[in-house]
Amino acid sequence: MVISSSPSNSEITTGRYLDQRKIGNALQQAVDFGASYAEVRLVAETGSSVNLRDGILENAIPGQEVGVTLRILADGAWGVHSTTDIASLPEQIESTVRLAKAVAKRRSSSDKPVQLAEIPIFQDEIHWRPKKDIRNTDLSTKIDMLKNIADSASDHEKVVSTTCGWSDEHIHTELLTSEGMDRVWSFQRSLVRGMVTARDDSEVVSYRTRYGGEGGLELIESCDLGQLGNDAMVAALRLLKAKRAPSGKMPLIADRDLTGVYIHEALGHPCEADLVAAGDSCLDGKLGQKIGSDIVTVVDDPTMRGGYGAYPIDDEGVNTRAKRLITNGVLTEYLNHRETAAHFGIQPNGGARAQDGLHHPLVRMSNTMIMGGNHDTIDDLMEDIDYGIYACGSRGGQVDTGKGSFQFAAQEAWLIENGELTTPLKDVSVSGLTLEILQNVNGLTRDAKLAAPGFCGKGQTVPVGDGGPIMRISEALVG
Amino acid sequence: MLPDDAVERIVEGAQSIGKICQSKGIGEWEVVAFQSYGHELDIEAGKITLAAGGGDGGYGVRVLDGGRFGYAHLVDVSGAEHAVSQAISIAKVSPSVEGFSLPQNQKSTDVLGRCDSKILDVGPEYLLEQADSILSEVASLDSRAVVTGGGVGVSATAGAIVTSQGILSSGITTSHGAGVQVSIDEDDELTSAWESSSSRKLLKSIPDCIETSVHWAQCTRGPIEVDSQAVDCPVLMTSEGFSPLFSVCIPAAAKGEKLARKESFWSGNEGLMVLANDLTLIDDGLMEGGMGSSSLDGEGVPRQTQTLVENGRLVGSMWSTRDSAQMMAEGRIEYAQSTGSASRGSHQSPPYTGCSDMILKSSKGGKSRDDLISHMENGYIVHSVMGAHTANPTSGDFSVTTSTILKVVDGQIVGPIKQAGLSGNIAKALSNNIILGDRPIIQDSYSTGGMHIPDVLVMDGFRINPA
Repeated sequence: MVISSSPSNSEITTGRYLDQRKIGNALQQAVDFGASYAEVRLVAETGSSVNLRDGILENAIPGQEVGVTLRILADGAWGVHSTTDIASLPEQIESTVRLAKAVAKRRSSSDKPVQLAEIPIFQDEIHWRPKKDIRNTDLSTKIDMLKNIADSASDHEKVVSTTCGWSDEHIHTELLTSEGMDRVWSFQRSLVRGMVTARDDSEVVSYRTRYGGEGGLELIESCDLGQLGNDAMVAALRLLKAKRAPSGKMPLIADRDLTGVYIHEALGHPCEADLVAAGDSCLDGKLGQKIGSDIVTVVDDPTMRGGYGAYPIDDEGVNTRAKRLITNGVLTEYLNHRETAAHFGIQPNGGARAQDGLHHPLVRMSNTMIMGGNHDTIDDLMEDIDYGIYACGSRGGQVDTGKGSFQFAAQEAWLIENGELTTPLKDVSVSGLTLEILQNVNGLTRDAKLAAPGFCGKGQTVPVGDGGPIMRISEALVG
Repeated sequence: MLPDDAVERIVEGAQSIGKICQSKGIGEWEVVAFQSYGHELDIEAGKITLAAGGGDGGYGVRVLDGGRFGYAHLVDVSGAEHAVSQAISIAKVSPSVEGFSLPQNQKSTDVLGRCDSKILDVGPEYLLEQADSILSEVASLDSRAVVTGGGVGVSATAGAIVTSQGILSSGITTSHGAGVQVSIDEDDELTSAWESSSSRKLLKSIPDCIETSVHWAQCTRGPIEVDSQAVDCPVLMTSEGFSPLFSVCIPAAAKGEKLARKESFWSGNEGLMVLANDLTLIDDGLMEGGMGSSSLDGEGVPRQTQTLVENGRLVGSMWSTRDSAQMMAEGRIEYAQSTGSASRGSHQSPPYTGCSDMILKSSKGGKSRDDLISHMENGYIVHSVMGAHTANPTSGDFSVTTSTILKVVDGQIVGPIKQAGLSGNIAKALSNNIILGDRPIIQDSYSTGGMHIPDVLVMDGFRINPA
């Protein structure tokens, strides 16, 4: 049966869901059964989503979900139990220890048992309080704000429909471990999005836009929503006249959105130490090696407040910090969690994230960016290009981390001819090999910033921020 | 795996939420409940790395008053008063949709094969043995091959829907899945392939996807050199390669609401030819063992087997109760009614229109893969694509990447190429010169439900752009 207890004071972020004494006893019981490490992590998410169709409310969905995961390391292997039934957790201790031991028994003599890197133990609470708590925002305010997007996105006869959406969440996490960790943290995320569909005879196109990040209502209020909608409409109308992109290898300039997706897919995923340890990364064994051009420096920073991938503490209770993945072209750090940190003999750097309370932590990105370069404007980047592509806005991407091949798609693009933007293009995608294309980055503007918020899938979905400056690649495969 | 009284407990919970709705004077209400339990194993670097189990679930409540609806979800019935109040307050500010009413209880057809009692008895030990078998099989097929990622898992879900209109339905569904990323890393060359199998029935100990993944990791080794110029040519998409692209674009185009709003590339073509004249597209909501099939849809309307495209002509579309009422109320269409196509991702979302089990077939029958290769003469075989989710469902345009691609010359496979872009428009390609294979493989999809698409030989409209 689905049962969850409520916090002692649900109005205040510091209200606890877990009974520390009972959970402490359960964790000790796990150790008594033979666990070398045990943790209980609870996540309570209070959120809402609102969707408008052609400016009219389609649905509004409030909700609260609570999930808890028991993770046990015994004989060097993991056993995990996840449930919405918090009260049942102590009953699962023995079976989860047995599960871990059953996995351990299958390990061959050549395989190393799982170990965890040492970390500082804290008993504390960290709450990133927004200026305007999103939970206090009423539905009519959300609808009015979305109507700003809808109204400005639909002001043309060729726009056949608009959809606008809102989502917010207050995330409250509690982590107790057999090592004595007892941490509680909370933060909020808020996001608005819009999509414009335009039609001209049989030609039909759509353009999507998003704005949001870590924070409360103040974040959405800081956005010119009318401009966001209008920009999406103008882009959709432009796409109606856009031509199909040429195919082949050519110079590419990527806007902030695409630069972010590129660095997320091409570099970020292969830098995840769980993939490296599994032999599924093209960056295996390349720490300290030059893998990109001198101007490429990449950071992944969960402490970047406001970024959609920000979080105060990782899901193993490790304090977060900025990770410098590439420094002037040299691979300097993998993203890791405690298991992979021990595997590689390095310090944990706070890269463990779980989708929610029902999933166990994996190594994940947060806010990933290429740092700025020394060009002032896009014109500076284009002036040397006789024939190339300027691609903008992301429709997502994918990577094969082992082979190091990646693909990402742009929402719109232009042809660059003799240093100037000429023909609008649509359905442009870019693909390549990580270890080749990082060497081909040969121009960056100075102004690195996070771009539109995104979501990353790796079996589990987590919010991320990506971005950077405007980037020039000397040669990329465009299709 | 599932408690014996799981169904009774969630029905009881749903009924108690329904009573709260009644006590608040709500004319029409609907409560759905799900409770899932499962076990899974992760495989990394050729070994089992983690075993997990557990369960989750919750309730969703939809209230309707004068065509205005509100929705809220909750994890346990202790929060029902609050959730129902939230749903009511949302309904009050929602626009009224004239004619929108929750469906009445109707006679439905039982769908077989949704629950395999053998899965209910599966425990972690069974999965551990299966994972061991899979690892051994991969090693025996090719000593160089390693399962670098993947896993196996089983789940059982108790589900129920209770409504004010007399619908009370409940049951259990099961599923069993396996997926592996097989890599061969030798002589400074890494090739890999991801394959998966899923079923409502217990899979055999070593699913077919295991051999397929080893095969593609093997046959893409030793790439040949090709001219790097982009070329428009015949492309044989295997079922595994084509289904993801198909699932992004085609089910969306057949939704009634998208057609009515002119958001579909098939809008305005109702009754006209949209596919090649031998192709028929069916959404089968009653398929035995189908991943998206069931006797009732997500809001309690009987599912059906519906022909969407018949011999190339667009003859049907998919509707939920609300979409049909709304499009009529807005004057976009004269008449529509639910086709039993309401899907539900979980208790957290109200019903939305989606396909159940989608089938593409040809009146000409299907050809074997060898025959298709022979027929194409010169072109490429593409087995998987990267970035299928970036295809544009509004236009049907796509531009993706593949590294499981073989070149065909004079009807013979001459070797793999390292990587290539693949682009085109899926709607246009399917309306041209298409030849289907004879072996549909059930694939998970980016849409709701399952895809049952065979190999597809696209003679015109696709472009290959070798890296």
